[in-house]
This record gives sequence, C-alpha cells and structure tokens, in this order.
Amino acid sequence: MNDPYQVLNISPDATDEEVKHAYREMARKYHPDNYHNNPLADLAQERMKEINEAYETIQRRRRISSGAGAQRQTDGYSYQTSSRDPAMQQVRLAISRGDISLAERLLNSTAVHHAEWNFLMGIVCSRRGWMDEARRYLETAVQMEPGNAEYHSALAALNNEGYRPAGFRGVSTANYDSSVCMRFCTAWLCCNLLGGGGCFFLPC
Amino acid sequence: MFGYIRPAAHRLPAQETERFRTAYCGLCHTLGKRYGFAARFLLNYDFVFLVILLSDGTEAACVSCRCAAHPLKRRCAMAGQRALELAADHSVVLSWWQLQDQIADHGFWAGLPYRLAALLLRRAYQKAGARVPQFDRSVCRRLSELSHLEAERCASIDRAAEPFASLLAEIAQHVDEPDRRRILQHILYHLGRWIYLIDAADDFAGDVKSGCYNPLRYRYAVAGDELPQEVKQVLAQTLDESIRQMSGAYALCDYGVWTPILDSIFYDSFYGIGQAVLSGSYHKPTRRELFRIKQRDEEEPL
Repeated sequence: MNDPYQVLNISPDATDEEVKHAYREMARKYHPDNYHNNPLADLAQERMKEINEAYETIQRRRRISSGAGAQRQTDGYSYQTSSRDPAMQQVRLAISRGDISLAERLLNSTAVHHAEWNFLMGIVCSRRGWMDEARRYLETAVQMEPGNAEYHSALAALNNEGYRPAGFRGVSTANYDSSVCMRFCTAWLCCNLLGGGGCFFLPC
Repeated sequence: MFGYIRPAAHRLPAQETERFRTAYCGLCHTLGKRYGFAARFLLNYDFVFLVILLSDGTEAACVSCRCAAHPLKRRCAMAGQRALELAADHSVVLSWWQLQDQIADHGFWAGLPYRLAALLLRRAYQKAGARVPQFDRSVCRRLSELSHLEAERCASIDRAAEPFASLLAEIAQHVDEPDRRRILQHILYHLGRWIYLIDAADDFAGDVKSGCYNPLRYRYAVAGDELPQEVKQVLAQTLDESIRQMSGAYALCDYGVWTPILDSIFYDSFYGIGQAVLSGSYHKPTRRELFRIKQRDEEEPL
C-alpha cells in the first residue's frame, strides 16, 4: 500500500486535527453521491477505499480510539437489479454490467412506457452523458409514480452540486456574479495573443 | 473548437497565469514548427486547454524564443512535451474539417475567405492527417452525422451535441494509462457537449436570422431570435450537469503543476463563461479591438 500520508496529501507530522480535516475533505471529494450513475463510479469507489484505509492506518499508528474519527462513508448507492417486470429486469442487469447499448435496445423494443421504463431510460441517458434527456425521463418517471424513492433519488442526484474545494462553493452558471464575470472576461489580456488565433476566420 | 475556455485570472497568482502563457506560447511554436507559419493562426484557448489535459502534470521544460507577435521581447515557451505535439496534430485536423464545413455552408462569394484559408492550410492538413489518420477519418464521419441531424432539424440537444462530444473524447486514445484514459475520455466528452451547447447559445440570434440549424431553437421551441429567460435557466442547468461531470472526473486524476489552473477552470471558469454567454455579455473581440487592446497592453504591461 502507498504511504497513507501521501494518499491524504499531508505531511507525516500533521496534527490529528489536520489529518481529520484532510480525510474529511477527500471523503467529500470522492463521495459516492458525486458519482451517482457515473461511468467513473468504480474509480471513485477505489479512491474512497484508498483514503479510508489510509485514514485507518494513520489512526491505528497514532492509537486514536476508533470512535474519534470522522464517519466512514463507503457505500452510498447500490444499483437495484431486481424488478417485478421481467423485461425491465433484463434492462437493469444490462445496466449493472455496463452494457448501455444493450439496455437501450431492450428499452426501445418495449411498447409500454410506464414509470420504470422512463426511469431506466433516464439512467441510460445519464450514463451516456445525455443529461438533458436524462432529466426529462427521470422527471416523467417521478411524475408517473411520485411515491417511488428510487426515482426520486436518481432525479435528486442530477441536482447534486458535487465536490468543490473551499472558495469555489455555490457557483453555478445561472447565479455567477456578473461583476466578477466582467473582470474574468478580459482575463485574456494577461496573456498576449497572436490576434485571437483562428477565431477570425472561423466565426462558428 | 472555438476558444471559449480560459482560466479565471482573478483566482490565480501571477506565476500561474504565466505558466498558462508558457503552454499557450508552447502550442503556438509547436504549430509553427510542425506545420508552418499559417498553422499558427489556428491557435486558440481551447487547444491550450487540451495541451494541459493531455500533459502528465510534471514541470515542463521551457525554451526562450521570439515570435512574430512579439519580435522584441524573448518569451518562455513550453517545449518537448508529447502533449504539445498531440494537441497541435489534432487542432490542425479539427480546424481543417471545420473549414470544409464552412465552405459547404456558404455560397461561392461568402465562402471565398474559407477557401483561401483552406488553401493555405492544405499542406499542414495533409501532414497532420498522416500523423493521426484514425482521428482524421472520425472527424469526417462525425461531421456527416452532424449534417444529417441538422438536415432533419433534430430537436434533441444531447443527440445534436453527440458527434462533436464523441469526437473530442477520441483524443483520449493517446493516453497510455487505462484509468487516466477513461477519465480524460469522460472529461473530453462533456467538454465537447458543453462547447457545442455554449456555441449554439452564443450564435442563436445569428442562426435564426440566417436560417441555419440551431438545436436550441427546436429543443425549446423558441419563436423569436432571443432565448427567453426561462429557457436560459433550463439550459444553464444542463450546462451545469456537464460541468459537474467534468469536475467529478477531474477530481479522480492528479494533474500536478497544472492543478491551480485546472481548479480555476473546472470550478469557476466554465460557470462564468456560461453566464457571460447566456447573459449576452460575452463576445469574441473583433480583429480591430484585439489590435487596440494589444497596443494598450504593450503600453501598460501587466
């Protein structure tokens, strides 16, 4: 295993408080909620495991009682592979295997578009990066079956802000401070350009 | 690529903007060295961003050099990185096909400047195409996919963005380490999607006037030549989703010395540029303005 201090990106003489802080920050960064329905979820899970192990090793070495640490966040979301409808069951299995095109083919060959169909279509779109359609399908699924927690949590995951380091929180396209934006838009002055590159003959 | 992405300078210390400039100068010199003087004019910020994404995060060597834009002052340019060569090859191929697309879209007279540019770039394109033949073929194929979607007035923004997004994702093939390749693929896919949608929002009024296809017009059934406020809200939301996909993938990868610059881009710039484009305060400077700004810049060095 790698040096646990290196994994948490801190020096070996960091205080207990610093260790805890570094661990919390990283756990926030790789939290499963940030990688909901994301094709890179397995990599994030690996990272999460690494930092959990690193943190535990450091704790053990420093003989800190286990109750003092930050809460462990290993498993957040596990994809349900069971369904009452056998056709949808097939789709769920295909998604859990990562075979998105098979899942899509199966969905397209189904005539009845009930709530679960919309939900699974939303998952397929979101795995492919088709975020606009994903949202529409998931919203339809929630509308058709408002009591279903699985559909709700998938839709909520789309609205999850994800990890941001300190100082960058709460920024979004819709609420970006436009006074900062003005400074930012002239930022390119700092770098001397050779006449704006290709833009002038590629007015796309 | 259209030159949207730049670091948020107000978030960065001077040494980091200087580092970004070395990548910028480095790419410009690589384009010149590999493809001749004309190819230098293809340089834009998005390709510099690509250099950074393709680099391995170690401190790059710098060479001091002069160029036509700054004949008197010697500048430090990044050199000897495979990322520079890869970005240069791909930018030449991409720009060539973009030119071809413009030639096809415009009539004889309006298309003349593009024809001239294509003439100047012909040799460069042939060389670059031979270096990345697979990419060259994909661009050609994806562009024809896109023109089919345009012809059928596709009302799905995801489907319309797919060809350009997948195209960019293919550049990740050149990364050897499998995990890093997957991460970069994901970043580049959503980068392509974001650029495509931002460009569609930016060109909305022009496209409506000229009758060109614009995916936003069909997706949101907009009647006029301006995007209504509520459409902008929904569009901002879907742009944010792509940015979060990118930053989530970026968090999984160590970019070494580029971390402060990439942090500012992934956690700030994308949102700021999106806001500027949607609110109409973003605009591409004209040649004349650039010249004026460059003069002012030289008078009062920052």
